[in-house]
Amino acid sequence: MSEQQAYEPKIVAFLCKWCSSAGSDLAGVSRIQYPANATPITVPCSGSVSPMYILSAFKKGADGVLVSGCHIGDCHYMEGNFLARRKLHLVKELLGFIGVEENRFRMSWVSAAEGGKYAQVVKDFVEDLRPLGPQEKLKAQRT
Amino acid sequence: MINIQDIRDTAKDLLAKGEVRGVIGWKAGTRGMDAEPVVITAPEQADELVWDPTCYHNLALYLVEDRKFLAHARKNADKPIGIVAKGCDARAIVVLMQENYFKREDVYIIGVSCENTGVVAEHKLARQLSGFAASAAAFAGDEFSFTTAKGEKKVPAREVMADRCLECRNPFPKEHNATLGEDKTGRTLAAPFAALAKFEAQGGGERWDFWERQFDRCIRCFACRSVCPMCYCDECVVDSIEMKVLPDTTAEEKANRIRWIERSADRSENITYHMTRAMHLAGRCVDCGECERVCPVNIPLRLLNNKMEREARERFGYEPGASIGGPSLVASFRDDDPGDFIR
Amino acid sequence: MTKKRTGVFVCHCGTNIAATVDVSRLAKEMANEETVAFSKDYVYMCSDPGQNSVIDAIKENNLDSVVVTCCSPNLHEKTFRDNAIRAGISGFTCEIANIREQCAWVHKDRGEATAKAIKISRSAIRRVARNKSLDPIAVPVTRRVMVIGGGIAGIQASLDIANAGLEVILVEKLATIGGHMLQLSETFPTLDCSQCILSPKMVEVSRHPKIKLMTYSEVQEVTGAVGNFRVKVLQKPTFVDAEACKLCDECTVVCPVVVPNEHDLGLTSRRAIHIPFAQAIPASYTLDESACLGLNPIRCGKCKDVCEAGAINYDMRPQTVVEDVGAIVVATGFDLYPQEKILEYGAGNVEDVLDGLQFERLCSASGATKGHVLRPSDQKEPKEVVFIQCVGSRDPAQHCAYCSKICCMYTAKHARLYKHHVPDGKAYVFYIDIRSGGKGYEEFVQRAMEEDETMYLRGRVSKLHRTKDGKVRVAGTDTLTGQNIEIDADMVVLALAMQPSKGTEEIAKVLKIGRDKDGFLAEAHPKLKPVESVTGGIYLCGAAQGPKDIPETVSQASAAAAKVIGLLSSDTLHHAPTVARVRSSHCTGCEMCVTACPYKAIRLENGKAVVNEVLCEGCGSCSATCLRAAIEVRNVTPLQVHEMIEACLSV
Repeated sequence: MSEQQAYEPKIVAFLCKWCSSAGSDLAGVSRIQYPANATPITVPCSGSVSPMYILSAFKKGADGVLVSGCHIGDCHYMEGNFLARRKLHLVKELLGFIGVEENRFRMSWVSAAEGGKYAQVVKDFVEDLRPLGPQEKLKAQRT
Repeated sequence: MINIQDIRDTAKDLLAKGEVRGVIGWKAGTRGMDAEPVVITAPEQADELVWDPTCYHNLALYLVEDRKFLAHARKNADKPIGIVAKGCDARAIVVLMQENYFKREDVYIIGVSCENTGVVAEHKLARQLSGFAASAAAFAGDEFSFTTAKGEKKVPAREVMADRCLECRNPFPKEHNATLGEDKTGRTLAAPFAALAKFEAQGGGERWDFWERQFDRCIRCFACRSVCPMCYCDECVVDSIEMKVLPDTTAEEKANRIRWIERSADRSENITYHMTRAMHLAGRCVDCGECERVCPVNIPLRLLNNKMEREARERFGYEPGASIGGPSLVASFRDDDPGDFIR
Repeated sequence: MTKKRTGVFVCHCGTNIAATVDVSRLAKEMANEETVAFSKDYVYMCSDPGQNSVIDAIKENNLDSVVVTCCSPNLHEKTFRDNAIRAGISGFTCEIANIREQCAWVHKDRGEATAKAIKISRSAIRRVARNKSLDPIAVPVTRRVMVIGGGIAGIQASLDIANAGLEVILVEKLATIGGHMLQLSETFPTLDCSQCILSPKMVEVSRHPKIKLMTYSEVQEVTGAVGNFRVKVLQKPTFVDAEACKLCDECTVVCPVVVPNEHDLGLTSRRAIHIPFAQAIPASYTLDESACLGLNPIRCGKCKDVCEAGAINYDMRPQTVVEDVGAIVVATGFDLYPQEKILEYGAGNVEDVLDGLQFERLCSASGATKGHVLRPSDQKEPKEVVFIQCVGSRDPAQHCAYCSKICCMYTAKHARLYKHHVPDGKAYVFYIDIRSGGKGYEEFVQRAMEEDETMYLRGRVSKLHRTKDGKVRVAGTDTLTGQNIEIDADMVVLALAMQPSKGTEEIAKVLKIGRDKDGFLAEAHPKLKPVESVTGGIYLCGAAQGPKDIPETVSQASAAAAKVIGLLSSDTLHHAPTVARVRSSHCTGCEMCVTACPYKAIRLENGKAVVNEVLCEGCGSCSATCLRAAIEVRNVTPLQVHEMIEACLSV
């Protein structure tokens, strides 16, 4: 088995409690299978995800970072995802500006009813990350 | 063109009448032709004030220093403080007021217009004066006039202006109590964000190669942070040099501060530091350019901050330093903020 | 700080988890974590013996925190938090690690699933290591209720709440309660006289010792949170003392101003001083200031001169009344979509084209024509009437995308009433579908077709216009026969869409409750929480929440009342303590968090941010916005997330 095939991207997924984490639960209830590369961290709202979390995840060696929240207009806390949309747009632009591969940071809106969508988001993310190989640019050289 | 005596008289007048407790401005420095910042407190000292192309410092920084000094001394300001401010400096002051760091009535802004000639970038000057050092510099219409051992030399301002001045769209201090000099807004000499566009023409691989070289050079001296008026936080999120404590700060809190990055000047830590700073300055940086000027290893920091500023302007319709009463960029949102990148 | 003693309880969930995740290995690995003092696995942790083992383990091992690795927290977070409390520690030191829905059920490979379960569990343990032992925040409660809107929804909710012993303040913006139901002639499917079934309730409201009625009033401002709202209500002056007014009607005889009568939807007129409706509650006349010539004897003064009871007082002024209440019910109802927007049907300019409510007024004995169905243009009896359904509804391209639900039924009712009033008349109904789902509804529509010989034509009307001989020519189609139909009708009645009433947008902003894509007030969950708004303590009922008929409105009103009664059944409320906390030492008072907070729960005091813990919902928007780490949400702090990230990337 070649190096490339043995490589499994490590993803940290920030899921909002009310929509995306519930959507992920629904994927489980529906027994939809998807790759095990993404470890979820449930946060109250996508708006509570600070840019520091994303940079920190990359520095600690994450190959990909996913932030998933409620659809626009449906945020349980009314406006949190609007704030997330703006801040994380800036994070995404900055990462691309530095030269980090575009596919490494991803955002999605997954509602509590979209179990299938969550599984697909993870599947797509893993497939898009594989050809990029391990993330070395932001990873701390010393631990 | 501004007559320096007008600046001196304005400051003198304010101090004599007791309207301000001091005036922050520039005086002749001790290093060649360069001016340096000064805080004068007596009317007689007003004659020390200068105004020339070497007044590149963002004096808003000294407003921050002044406030921190007063806080440390546990004093309250009994009067406003005066400040001579260029267009860029005035924008920085607006951001500080937008964030309640000052009330508007705490600061008397003596706005000075650079009349779209900006200030000089010393590294560009070296080519112009045949190696001779300049002992004085002065504004001369669309030119700068330098005095060297070989006599006076006039150089077209646009050849030696700082890049940030070439691209500047707001050379006139919009927020002010008084102004001196003509408003020449609208005569931009170079396209705003020109350097940014040139950089972004490169692909991801080239961009990374560029920044990898830059961040490898960074020694984390924090000069960029020290000179930025907007970095007034007592405890910096990415580097805890000091911790602000109050009597009720617990031992647990002191022991458990988050270390988002390590102190070592490794590339990964440097990148996180610079990216965090760029994020924190999004919507707040007014492109005074001081960070780039003071970097001892010449990292083109303005590229990072300009990138954030361009996103703010073009995607979110947000202009930093425009409105004291407006919301900050990241605390607000619009219904039509771009969201195509979200799956 | 004493060393943390966390207990880890790994659930097999029968084979649900254990078939894929190596649960005993998980329990062993977690025992190696620095803060873990106890670790075990068990087949069904949520069973009685399972839960007891958790409680016993906490007590016997002096555990101060618990991680249960099992199913989704949605199922058993409360269960295990209650166990923690029973064992003597704070419920908030207990966290769930979801290794079932988010791990065992979605991965097949045992090695991968176990590795992921280890990371998830480790992450929860790191988080719990820094959880504070929080107690729920007790909020004292004002046991009074405000109902906004005095139609049938507001009236029913008020009566139900008042009968449970709670004080109710019913605020209505018109001079009388009753709403649109008061304008109806009869109601489907029983053809009960609308006023006959409504009036007794209106009178009951006016006489109820626990109901304070504020008519001609509007809510201006609401502050506070569930259990403690402060509401400012503007009471407009009626210029008539309601106690003194004898309803003699002498004032209207002498009033020189004539304006359209809103109650009859413009089909009749009224004077500036008027009573909206003969049996109005409160039973008093009202002087409409905007129509009056001037409130002093120099301008007119005739009504005051003639009033023997001395009830008219030009010196009345608007009053702002402040009421403290614990819950609010919003019942602001609907309006009809404006006819002016339907260009193909005359845009409101073609005479004898009416909307449903106008037709009701014609049918009503107390209405414009004393109960005779007559054409407004020439007062003649119409012999052919066309009813058009779905006007403005089900039209995403131009008007409203939704179905207004009641039009099929009230059109059938109108057709039947018309036939009862004009036995030799002919009624035509243009429809797309017939929606008649309620009890007795389908039979009612069939009777309209069979007994009252209404001609139902399945097709749309493309346009109508007035002909030279005073008819309204209706050009439609009948898709079942495939023919175009043209009818020269004497009258046309449009079943216009129901839209949220005028002022709904403003009241939603004042109350900080959401609206859906069509402008109706948004319910908290479309299936399971139809009468709760997204804001705690504010409930919705009636057409304000979406198109519906009277039985559904009354059901929702009683449901909202039940919610209110439950909410206010004790003197204190418990609010989750996972709220924001400010570190004043780091706060510079920049107000970014104040701006970001969706609940306006943060304010500046002495230059530092201060959080209203009752309003704060713990969303974390403030924390992510703050540049200085000066504000964080308890038990989900950035420090905790930092450690969780590390755990997720551990091997």
